[in-house]
Amino acid sequence: MEKANGTRAPQQPQFRINVPSTARERVTSVDPYGFERSNDFDYESYEELMSEYLAVLTKRSIKWSKLLQGKSRIEKTLKLKRYVRKGIPNEYRALIWMAASGSQEQMEKNPGYYHSLLHAQHDPTLVETIRTDLHRTFPDNVQFRKTAEPCLQKPLYNVLLAYGHHNQAVGYCQGMNFIAGYLLLITKDEEKSFWLMEALLGRILPDYYTPAMLGLKTDQEVLGELVKVKVPAVWQAMVEHNVMWTLVVSRWFICLFIDVLPVETVLRIWDCLFYEGSKILFRVALTLIRHNQALISQARNLPDICDRFKQTTRGAFVEDCHPFMQNIFKEPGSLSMATITKLRAACRARITAE
Amino acid sequence: MSRKKAPKGKSCSASPSTTKDNNRSGKSGLVSAVQANGVVHPSRASISSSEFYDVAFKVMLVGDSGVGKTCLLVRFKDGAFLAGSFISTVGIDFRNKVLDIDGVKVKLQIWDTAGQERFRSITHAYYRDAHALLLLYDVTNKASFDNIRAWLTEIYEYAQQDVVLMVLGNKADASHDRTVRREEGERLAKEFGVPFMETSARSGFNVDLAFTAIAKELKHRSMKGLDEPKFKLHEYVNKEMKTTGCCRT
Repeated sequence: MEKANGTRAPQQPQFRINVPSTARERVTSVDPYGFERSNDFDYESYEELMSEYLAVLTKRSIKWSKLLQGKSRIEKTLKLKRYVRKGIPNEYRALIWMAASGSQEQMEKNPGYYHSLLHAQHDPTLVETIRTDLHRTFPDNVQFRKTAEPCLQKPLYNVLLAYGHHNQAVGYCQGMNFIAGYLLLITKDEEKSFWLMEALLGRILPDYYTPAMLGLKTDQEVLGELVKVKVPAVWQAMVEHNVMWTLVVSRWFICLFIDVLPVETVLRIWDCLFYEGSKILFRVALTLIRHNQALISQARNLPDICDRFKQTTRGAFVEDCHPFMQNIFKEPGSLSMATITKLRAACRARITAE
Repeated sequence: MSRKKAPKGKSCSASPSTTKDNNRSGKSGLVSAVQANGVVHPSRASISSSEFYDVAFKVMLVGDSGVGKTCLLVRFKDGAFLAGSFISTVGIDFRNKVLDIDGVKVKLQIWDTAGQERFRSITHAYYRDAHALLLLYDVTNKASFDNIRAWLTEIYEYAQQDVVLMVLGNKADASHDRTVRREEGERLAKEFGVPFMETSARSGFNVDLAFTAIAKELKHRSMKGLDEPKFKLHEYVNKEMKTTGCCRT
């Protein structure tokens, strides 16, 4: 653009005064979901990355709208699965998550159920526990600020309270606040968020959130077993420095990578999680570990291992979500649900025996 | 799209945590006689995670959900308190801080834990390796104070017998919402023979003192072989608390 007016170049600056000239000026300081970008956010590499990803998004969006055109029901097909792996456009996310997870069906089968939970008598301990975390859920998101209009703290409270009464064996477990928060950001609907929560905790994930957290402890060990076979150098380092898996991966499982990986990457993971199930969590974890095996296996001590695990969740490899999602289906190699089921049974028996 | 800066290109050049402690010249000799109580490095100042230190200890923060464990840690580590900027801690995490205690660089590896009861089955496992435990309650939350007894029972069951223990009544700045009087905290701590002080992560009141006292005690314990007067944690805390004053902000 500047070159075209070559002869008048000396006068140009005065005409360009309001044209943003740096990435910092061009990119908003709040992301599309309402999260404030951190002070050390790298605007330049973000812009570079988005220039490619926007093309992907546009292409996917057109394909999806063709796929969904005139459809009143969404059937799980191989084609849809392939589409989901390539990312659900944000405008269809709630729809596909609801359909793929069976939440839509549950919601239609149980009209009024969500509201009846909200109107029932509330367990004061549950209320108190949830309240403690309301202002500690995404304070860096403008939609969760007390001053926001509407403020998502109230819907968050409702979804968690309803779920706690619906599933009294779980009640409320820290981490669920972040999950419900993400669901609200995407669906913008309390009832849908509740039913997606019900699908995740009731069907998709094992018992991560019950007081004994047995499913969580099991899956951490299952990951360990998988790493032992697929990334032996890292397994060796973990044994050598006597690091329990829970120390480095408990948040990965409990928060389903929220606040561990970049927002867009988490949403892309969740696309597959709702469609394909909890196996995806292992694919992501194994990809992070395997891709960084040299880094992790050179750790000198336990704190160093923890630091290096944190490093695996940062940087271009995880921010560039499109290739990252292609990677999770390649990097860890084959991973059948049968293998995971078998390992889960073995690990669970071992933990219960201890 | 993302919330964290990509550590690539020019952005990876400097990380503040690694440069901060590098100014220190490797002091030697002094600690060569140190005997193992903690993670003691007997010869020279050690280099780990690019920080210099002479001795290192593990400190754990425990207490009910929402009493301010993370805030206390961040106030101590960075000297900052950003109201409403904290998220609930899930699982377990740690931060390091090196203190100069009478010329000895003492590294505290401070473990922050999720307060909710169900996470305890995960965090228990770390009690055993802890050299010190800071047990917090919230002076504006009676239930968190009432739970201190249960916490102590659990600590006595899982922690090492000689673990350095201190009870902290946090959020002492919130005078309007206070539901636990300072005397109640003092009485309970006395009953269990545990040092006690009130703190405020918001104002910074007694925060450094709490960690310094712990560091002093641990350092003195680990250097028993040297001819030093015995350090008494209780006395130190009581003396220093008075000089700090009760309502400094």
